[in-house]
Amino acid sequence: MTKRILALCRQAPYGNALAREGLEAVLAAAAMDQVADLLFCGDGVFQLLPEQSPAGIGQKSLQRNLQALPLFGVEQAYVCTKSLAQRGLDLEALSQGQLPLVPVDDSAALIATYDSVLSF
Amino acid sequence: MSLHIVSKSPFSSTALSDCLDAFAEGDALLLIEDGVYALSGRMSERPAVQPVYCLAADAAARGLQIPDSVTAVDDAGWVALCAEHNPVVSWFK
Amino acid sequence: MKFSLAVYSAPHSSQAAASALRFARALLREGHQLYRVFFYCDGVHNGSSLSAPPQDETDLLAGWQALQQQHQLDLVVCIAAAQRRGVLSDSEASRLEKPAANLAAGFELAGLGQLADAVAQSDRLVTFGG
Repeated sequence: MTKRILALCRQAPYGNALAREGLEAVLAAAAMDQVADLLFCGDGVFQLLPEQSPAGIGQKSLQRNLQALPLFGVEQAYVCTKSLAQRGLDLEALSQGQLPLVPVDDSAALIATYDSVLSF
Repeated sequence: MSLHIVSKSPFSSTALSDCLDAFAEGDALLLIEDGVYALSGRMSERPAVQPVYCLAADAAARGLQIPDSVTAVDDAGWVALCAEHNPVVSWFK
Repeated sequence: MKFSLAVYSAPHSSQAAASALRFARALLREGHQLYRVFFYCDGVHNGSSLSAPPQDETDLLAGWQALQQQHQLDLVVCIAAAQRRGVLSDSEASRLEKPAANLAAGFELAGLGQLADAVAQSDRLVTFGG
């Protein structure tokens, strides 16, 4: 039986390692046919801002990891609309290549549909 | 139904408020570590959600009283809550 | 019931690693099964054999090792996260030409696939971070 797994991504990129290591875990799981869905909420929505250029702080762009997700079978990412509104962001202004972003108003109902939640 | 485990103070982290935004009817909230500082705020008089549990050892360590509206649990109770609910969602930053 | 734990925090800097050990002990006491503990992010430091806390403080490493011996636990340290942070087995230290190895007895290095496997094989996954 395949489990339904949700990766809950609540951290902004670059300031700490959790955003990157979370995405690495999702990619590794997907490579093993354990495809997780993603829900970006809280500061995690900042991972989705376009035009990140972290070369000046000596880091690799996290967007490459995000854009690799569809290659590993991750078909979409959910985004918490309340978190976007709190941060003055518009879903239309966010984009991650071939990864469709799906707005979610009721994250409680979404979380309830999963067997396991990995928090990052 | 989900068990939400919050381990950061609501006065320094959005962990609790983000958790409450994702809290469904039938879910349960467990306060551990610095999450127990929620007991010194509004939560002590009127919890935002029900039911709320709190690790007794973490509250005692910090000199906090557990109000009647919150259920104290020991480590065995912590395990039992995790066994009774699914998924278990940790809110730690 | 079959549990797995994911530990993201270093020992002796936040309470989370100690909480994970406390929870592991409690679930085994209650008769549940602990399929795997996966140490990730800063949690890889739990697998360092070089930590030496003062005698009047809790020794988390000794705690994990005793529990591992007693229950034959699978204590897995993520190899990629560990290499970044300097937690190396003998073979990794020589392969990477580093001067010392420090992976503690009772722990093993393995890939992130072991986290995915733990999720797939366990009834519950509980994460300790922050």
